[in-house]
Amino acid sequence: MISEQQLISRIKGLNQIKPRKDWVFLTKTRILGEASSEKGISIWEVLPRILFHPKLAIASALTIFTILGLVGFTRNSLPGDPLYAIKRVGEKTQAVFISEEKQPGAQLELANKRLNELTKIAESNQIKKLASALQEYQASIGQAAKNLTQQKSATTSDPSVIKNIAQQTQKLEDAKDRLERIYGIAGLEAKEGENPTKIITDWLIKDLEKRTLTEDQADLLSEAKESFSIEDYNTALIKILQLSELNYPQN
Amino acid sequence: MGDKKEQFGRVYDQCIDKIYRFVFLKVSSAEVAEDLTSEAFVRYWECFNSGQNIDNPRAFLYQIARNLVVDHYREKGRAQFVSMDNISMADPVNLEEKAILSSDIKAVRQSLAGLKEDYQNVIIWHYLDELTIPEIAKMMGRSEEAARVLLHRALGSLRSKIKEI
Repeated sequence: MISEQQLISRIKGLNQIKPRKDWVFLTKTRILGEASSEKGISIWEVLPRILFHPKLAIASALTIFTILGLVGFTRNSLPGDPLYAIKRVGEKTQAVFISEEKQPGAQLELANKRLNELTKIAESNQIKKLASALQEYQASIGQAAKNLTQQKSATTSDPSVIKNIAQQTQKLEDAKDRLERIYGIAGLEAKEGENPTKIITDWLIKDLEKRTLTEDQADLLSEAKESFSIEDYNTALIKILQLSELNYPQN
Repeated sequence: MGDKKEQFGRVYDQCIDKIYRFVFLKVSSAEVAEDLTSEAFVRYWECFNSGQNIDNPRAFLYQIARNLVVDHYREKGRAQFVSMDNISMADPVNLEEKAILSSDIKAVRQSLAGLKEDYQNVIIWHYLDELTIPEIAKMMGRSEEAARVLLHRALGSLRSKIKEI
């Protein structure tokens, strides 16, 4: 018969059960990353300003209701739906207002949206829409990788751009893995050229090589390069994400 | 938003290991524990971000995690059993120590998983997460005396289970 002290000591041994460090880091990044991407300009922030100008009120109300109606109808539309084209036009219009520096991150966000649509279609077993959703995704991720390689300079001024690109690429990898594993959907790479994840990770590494980094960041970059050299792009991305979480040295 | 994120980050850092372990001890795999723990924190963030007043984040997270575990078993009809295959632990110093440690922990885990939910919770909270009896009593909606008695009975039940192995 074990004593109470021995029993308690054995129970305390269960303290060794710990989650994986990379999972802990990625889960936090993902929750807060999604919170950032959800943040937009609220209609409630804009509406009061308009209502204080009576002449504009009626015209604005009509415009707002029309836009809201369209957005509401198209937001949940999927490839193959009649309203999907309107949704894509809306996205293209929004893209015009994004700075050149933030374009690659925005393009990757769009690729993530395409992959989410593909997941919704797979989950609801809408076989007829699967081909066009796959096509939309392939075009989107291909465009994202192409945009990145066509950037004039690999070095951007804003470190948050690097973080956003790494986050979006990591989310893409997770969603791809899920689609392949759960629904057996293959062919989730761009139609032409190399693996987009490889291109994006390579671009991120080149950018970071040109930056002034702290000692910890430099170590993480070395580890990322090592993973990249053995074609483990997912681990390389995790290292880059960890690096981008640290503070850059002050110039 | 930035301030909210910072506050969430602090709660996350303080609680992630505890909530993961709490869930892991009740489900059969690290993968399921990761999924349910992530979901618990996503739900916590949604409530927190929507302005809901959360007095005790840790108690709130435990409650979400408990509900998720219940839903998990209800939906999947899974039997509660303990697998050592997916256990994730810090490496013990040497092989001999590892063998003793693994065998002890395996027995405790298997026995703990065989206890009723209240017994599991009170043991995990008091001995692993180091919550005080008043804190546990508050979380369980019982008096301090009732919580103390529950812990005593839970230990007795665990001891009997270990003996059976």
